[in-house]
Parts: sequence; C-alpha cells; structure tokens
Amino acid sequence: MDFSELKNNAEKELEKIVDSKELKEFSDKYLSKKGEIRKFFSFVKDLALEEKKILGQEINEFATVLESKVLEMEKEMRKMEREKKEEGEKIDIAAPGKVIETGHLHPMTQVRREMEKIFESMGFSVVEGQEIEDEWHNFDALNIPEGHPARDALSLGKTFYLKNKNVLRTQTSSAQVRYMKKMKPPIRIVVPGRVYRYETTDASHEINFYQIEGLLIDENASVANLKAVLQRFLELFFKRKVEIRLRPSYFPFTEPSFEVDMRCTVCEGKGCSSCKKTGWVEILGTGMVHPNVIKNGGLDPKKYKGFAFGISIDRPTMMKHKINDIRLFHSGNLKFLKQF
Amino acid sequence: MHSFEVESVEKKGTDCVLNIDVLPDRAGDCLSHWGIAKELSVLLNKKMIVLAPKLKRNKLKVKDFLSVKVEDKDCLRYTSMVLTDVKIGPSPKWLQEKLIACGQNSINNVVDATNFIMLETGQPLHAFDYEKINGGIIVRKARKGEKMMTLSDKEYVLDENVLLISDSKRPLALAGIKGGKGCEITEDTKTIVLESANFNHKLISQTARRLNLRTDASIRFENNLDPNLTEIAIERVASLIQELSGAQIVSGVVDVYKTKLKPWNIKLNISNVNNLIGIDISKAEMVKILTSLGFVVSGSSNILNVLVPTSRQDVIIPENLIEEIGRVYGYDKVPAVLPCFSEPAKTNLDIYWQNKAKDIMKELGFSEAYNYSFIGEEEKTVFDLKAEEVVNPVSNYYKYLRPTIVPQMARIIKENSKFFKDVRVFELGKVFNSQKETMVLTGTVMGEDFSLVKGYLNILFDKLGVEKVSYSSSTNKMWHVKKTAEIKVGGHVIGHLGSLSSNLIEVLMIEDAIFFELDFDELQKHCSDKKDYEQISYHPPALRDISGVVSEELEIEEIVEAIENSSNELLKSVEVFDVYKGKGIASDKKSVSFHLIYQSEEKTLDSKTIDSMVNELLNKLKQTISWEERK
Repeated sequence: MDFSELKNNAEKELEKIVDSKELKEFSDKYLSKKGEIRKFFSFVKDLALEEKKILGQEINEFATVLESKVLEMEKEMRKMEREKKEEGEKIDIAAPGKVIETGHLHPMTQVRREMEKIFESMGFSVVEGQEIEDEWHNFDALNIPEGHPARDALSLGKTFYLKNKNVLRTQTSSAQVRYMKKMKPPIRIVVPGRVYRYETTDASHEINFYQIEGLLIDENASVANLKAVLQRFLELFFKRKVEIRLRPSYFPFTEPSFEVDMRCTVCEGKGCSSCKKTGWVEILGTGMVHPNVIKNGGLDPKKYKGFAFGISIDRPTMMKHKINDIRLFHSGNLKFLKQF
Repeated sequence: MHSFEVESVEKKGTDCVLNIDVLPDRAGDCLSHWGIAKELSVLLNKKMIVLAPKLKRNKLKVKDFLSVKVEDKDCLRYTSMVLTDVKIGPSPKWLQEKLIACGQNSINNVVDATNFIMLETGQPLHAFDYEKINGGIIVRKARKGEKMMTLSDKEYVLDENVLLISDSKRPLALAGIKGGKGCEITEDTKTIVLESANFNHKLISQTARRLNLRTDASIRFENNLDPNLTEIAIERVASLIQELSGAQIVSGVVDVYKTKLKPWNIKLNISNVNNLIGIDISKAEMVKILTSLGFVVSGSSNILNVLVPTSRQDVIIPENLIEEIGRVYGYDKVPAVLPCFSEPAKTNLDIYWQNKAKDIMKELGFSEAYNYSFIGEEEKTVFDLKAEEVVNPVSNYYKYLRPTIVPQMARIIKENSKFFKDVRVFELGKVFNSQKETMVLTGTVMGEDFSLVKGYLNILFDKLGVEKVSYSSSTNKMWHVKKTAEIKVGGHVIGHLGSLSSNLIEVLMIEDAIFFELDFDELQKHCSDKKDYEQISYHPPALRDISGVVSEELEIEEIVEAIENSSNELLKSVEVFDVYKGKGIASDKKSVSFHLIYQSEEKTLDSKTIDSMVNELLNKLKQTISWEERK
C-alpha cells in the first residue's frame, strides 16, 4: 500500500469526525497497537535499509502529528460535550439531603463517659462494683447500722431484697469499702453504675438509675480539696465557669456532709423556674469520709482522711437534653434513642 | 447556709411560716422552735430567751393518784403529772392560729397544749383521761396478737416487739407513736395524766415503719431525743394547761428514770480541725463557736476538752465538733484547693472493652438501649426461664432479675416495628443467674436475614480482635431449631445467634427478627488490640472452589483448620458456602463446599501452580479428615 494514500485517508476521515465516539474509533483504527500505522511498519520492515529509514521517519512523524491532533480534538470535544450536558442542569441546593441511618449511643452512656473522662484527668481511676450486695457492704460498712434511722429509711422502704437477704445495691457507695480493702492509699477512684431503689415510678422516679461515686483517701484531705475537685468537675462538665456553694447536710457515711449547689445556669442566679427562684440548683451530695467507714475499709482513721461524693448520671443527662421524663431512659423507644 | 435549708417562707395571717428542712442528725434538738431559736441566736449573735414555766401546785400529792411501772428497758424515762379540775374547751384564738400555721388541727385546749409544747420543745407529750385508767400505768411490750384501737379509729394487731403504755387491763397507747382510743380526752374529762417520756429510738423507728404509722411523735423519738428534756417539757405543758383551763396541778412528778444521761467529753485537737476543713482559724475562735452552741470547753493546750450537752446526742466523735465549727465559721470562707497530684488514673480494661464494643455496634448502625434489670411473671413463663426472684418486687412486671435480655429485646422489636422499618438495637448489660452477675451483649435486627446479622457479628469479632469464632447448630429451646447458631470462641460456647423458637414467635406475635446474645465476660477474655499489617498484594487473587464429603460430626471450624494446616501462606482465605445433608449423601456424612482464595505478594499465580496446590491440599485432606472429593 502507498503510504501517502493511507495518510490522505486518515486526514480525510479525521476532518469528518464530529464526536468523541467517532474520535475513539478513529484512534483505534489508526493509532492502536494493531492499527493501520503499525501495520504499515510491518510492510516497511521488508524494504531496503535506505528506503526503510526515510519511510520509517516519515511514518513516525505522521503518527506523532496525528496523535497530537487527536489529543487536541479530544479535549475540545470533551469540553463541548460537558458544556452541552450542563445546559439546563442546576442542582437544587435547597432540596433535603438523603436520610442516612447511623447508630446511636444511649444518652446516659455518653454522659457517663464524659464524667469518667473528667475524673480520669484528675487522677481518679474508674472501677466497677457488683450490683448484688450483701447487707453489710450496702449498709453497715457505710456506717448505716441496724436501727439507724437512715438504715430503716433505706432498708424498710427503698431496698430490693433477694432470697438470702442479699440486696440490690441502693447506691454505688457500697463499693467504697471493698476498694479500700483492696487498694493502698492514696486512693482515687470513681465508681459508675446502675443502682436500685424501691420506688413508685413517675416522671422523676425510677427503680433503676445511675450514679457515679467518687472516693479520695489520703493522709491529707480536706473540705478545701473536695470543694476544688467538685468545682473543677462541674466546670469541665458544663464547659463554663461555675459557682458552687456547700450547704451542711447529713449522710451517715460522711462527716461533715454537704449538699453542693451550683449557681443556676439558666438564669445566672437571678431566680427562675428551673432553680425554684432560689438562683441555685442542688447538684450532688458529698462529705469527708466518716472515720467508721475508713475503719471498715481496714485503714487507720487517725492517719487517713478522705472525701466521697455521689453524682447522679440521670439528672445531668436530663438537664443537658431537657428530658422531662426519666422513664424514657428505659423505654427502648427508638424515637427517643435515635435523637442522641 | 450554716444549719438548715429554709424550703419556703409563707405568709399566714400576721405571721410568717418558715418551712425548714431539719437534717436527720439534728432532729433530736432542732425539730422544735427552741432548737431553731438556739441556732439563730448563735448565728445572729443574739441572746435566746426561754420562757420559764410558772406552776401553781396544790397540796395533793401525785403519788396518791398515780403509780407508774416501767417493765421494759426500751422505756428510758417516764415522767408524768396529774392535773385536776380541768375544763375541756376550745383553745384561745392565738393558740389555734399558731397550731394551724404549723399544720396542726385544733382539737381542744388540753390536746392543743400538748401539741403546742411539743412543737416548742421537741418533746412529744400525751394526755390521758385519768378516770379511764384502770389501776396504774404500766410500760411493757405487747403480747402477740394483742389489739389496740388508735385515736384515729384504726385497729392494730401487735406483737412482742411493740412497746405499749397500758393500764392493768388494756393498752392505752403505742409508746412514742400514737395514743389509744381507750382513755382519750373528751368533753367530760375532769382529771388528766400528762405523759412526757423517752424511748429507745431504734425501737420507735422500726415499729413506726413496720406499722406504717409515722407520726409527729415517732419522728421526734426516732432521733435520739434528750431524756433530760421530759421534765422541763412537762412543766411547760402543765403550766399552759393551767393557764388555759384553770386546772389544779397536783404536787410532784412521777419520774421513772433509771439511768440518767450525763454530758460526755470529747477531746478535740485544734490542728485536726484546721487540717480537715482546710482553713486556719484560731483556737479562741473555735472555743467561741463551741461555747455559743452550748458546749462547755476547757483545756489550755492544743487539745480541747469539750463537754457535750445531752441535747446534742448527735455529737459523739471529734469530726462532729469539726462540723459544728466549720458550719458556724462558714463553708463559703473555705478556699478551693486542688489536692496534690498523686498518680495517673489506671485504665480499666473491662470498661475499655465495653466502650469499644459499644462503639463498634454504633458504627454498625445499632442504637443502644437500656432495659430494666427486672423481668415480669409473663416473660418468665413465656420464655420458660429460671430467674432469681425479688422478695419485695414493686409489681408483677418487675418480679425477677433478668437471666437474659432477649425477652426485653423482643418487646423492643414489637413496639418499634410499628414505626420503623429498620430496627437495630443492642444493650450491653448485666444478667443474673442464681445471684451471679454476667455482662452480656444482646442485640436484635428486624427481618429474616441471618447472614446479615452474622456479618455484623463478624465485624464485631474482628474489631475486638477475637479469633477462632465458629458457629454450630443449637438445641437451646428458646431459639429456633433450624435457624439458630451456637457461637463458640476457642471451643467455649459464648452465645447464640438466630431466630426465636416458632412457639415464641407465635405467642409473642412479633415481626420477624434475628437476635443474638453473647456472654461478654467470656468474650472479653479473647479480645485483643493486636493487629499486624498484612502485606498488600498488587497481584490478582485466584479463586478455587472445592466440594467434598466428610463425617457428619466434623465441625466446620475443624475442617477449616485442617484446610489451613494443609496449605502454605499463599492461601489467603477459606470460606464455607454450602453445607448439605440428605439425598445422595450417606446418613452419617455431610457435603461441604468452600471458596479458597490464593494470592501471592510477588507474582501473578498461574493456573498450573494453583492446581497443583489444590491437588496437594485434597490429598492431604483425604488422609487427615477422610475427605472424599465430589466432582
């Protein structure tokens, strides 16, 4: 075949091409591994050396030119085709995004983790206790002996009993003495977990609820320390500056005992419905560990002091998300669970 | 901020009523106007004025009227007086108004006087109609089955734990709790016996709660009332009744008080006070605070001798005194000082793996639920469970400790399927088997897609680093016989995956759903963070399928292990895709088929190499597990 004929054909065909599909066909026909130009090379192979050199060069040059032409046309055609496609095509950015199903952690798991993290940052190790307790650890060890009005109030009204007189723990404090016996001071622990109270359930009372109990035992521990740790915790938890006050209170397992109030975050202390117009919100109970409890933990109360506190997990979760019924937590209702 | 919380301030007439939340340890001295006045006098630095009783006694002697026999040591003191010529009538307006402001009803002048003085002093008082007492007063324990009608017309059947005030014939009152119908004050009453007594506080607390009869009197007795208060209080009430009704007061008191309570001493180290509170106040200031509260302080060294008045039975140990000093000084003045750094918190591995598992479930699109630790009679029966019974359940719905979370998950499916097409829920929580606590991970997915849920679990196991998981058929009756796998890790059964038994599905009337429950305590033993990078191959993998007949008893896991043991490192994955028993296969055999994937990091494997590896494998399997190849 005559090379100039091939050349002419190719050039003519190229001129007629109108879209990228035709261009691809053209490219396959002439420029691919098994294309016309390649085929021509096999013909050139059999020519005399001089001729081969001249023709070979001519073919190579032609191929290069053709390739660059094809490339240029391809770019142009793509551009044209994209422009044509985009004509009249506009995304409705106001249309809603697609609904994506994801998993959800229970809101109390999230709050509990946050609390644990804050206490860990202050050197408190997280430990867990058992939910079935004997009476001694649930009451006596915490200085709530038989006959104590607090014992009667708890054991005769608020405690679930099992057949062999074991109880379902009424507070996570029951783990205090167990860990005092196990660990050597200085002790810094928090015990989160599920507790049980015999209650008539309503929007703010549950038979199962959650607490995080804290305990620090050391040779020196003071009300001043307790105040600082709790203030720091509340500031980190609420992610803002908070003001607290200690109000004298009474718990059998601490002396002195306090109720900690926090300046109401809704009204900044001016008085509103969430703080019952007092400007303060009761947030947790705390105190210096009673010497009898330290003794029950196998330590010398003359040498070791400490403080303990109990924080509800349910209430701050309700506060945080403005949840108005505590029973939703155990409802298993996905309309609730999928919100968090 | 120093003593108690004032819960509300209410205007009643010309008076203001303060509703004060007295703390339980101070109920002994502060459930009274005297007690609160004392607190205020200390905090406001003012003098407290106590009204002294003004008694005009006649010449008659109380001994000639009344005998009191205390037969039981739970009565610590019994003080009584007799008043004659009493005219029962309505109380004057001032007294009625004061009682009503305090939430009491006005009854008649005598009863009102006893209530009024109780509110004033904290000492419960009672008046009996003298004429109705047979013989003298006897304080004793009730006999089993003995009955008594209280003033509020309710009959109680008593036992030997109940302390009674009685006469020679019948009970007159439940000691420290409530008076009886027998000798109540009526319009015709002329002569009265006043009672001002003190009882064992533990006994009163327990009796009142057992009888579900907590009264103004019992609440005060529950909290270590000062036995030395009876005499002052009885004189106050006698003087008031005389003033209100013109009664004659018979001379003397009958006072049975075997062991007199005397003030006691506590040694207080002043540096302990400052150390425990974290302040620095002077000895002089401490002494001033304690003295103002009625403590008698002596001692010139660093150690104070503090004599505690009998009205403060809550003060027993030095820490009680430290609290007194702290609260009067003011906790608002205590600085906030962070404790010194000790050591970093230790990682709790249980919580670490629990959190990790929860996060994986969340990644898989599951929502986390919390269910109660209790199940009801119905779940127990329907699921045929063995469960630990709660002695005092709140209701039939919460009668047992749950031995599994599956029934609660079934309820979640049932209730949510009305609103959702896609239900994926899990809980990681405790279950109870004969009082042993086990952590389980339970989940449910709506639909019938067993392999989908198995896929979820595979991801869970993989991300927890759990290896050697195998699935075999289950015979547990809660689960569907043909649609359930027992899950094993390292040979231990750790749970189930599948549908509920046909029977349960019918009874529960729930949508199709797949459930799983894993013993998390057991699973956790196999969890690991170890994960080595696997070389990425740029050469194509080659797939070969093999099918063969093996003994029916051979577990899939064992076959996989045999295949892996008989191959080299080029075998990248073994996956079962068919298990068949029945027609064409001997009854003690089963047919199994596997996908094998071969891949090299260095080169593209040619079919000759692969075929020879497969042939070698089949030959080995023939010897090790008697594999008969099926073509």
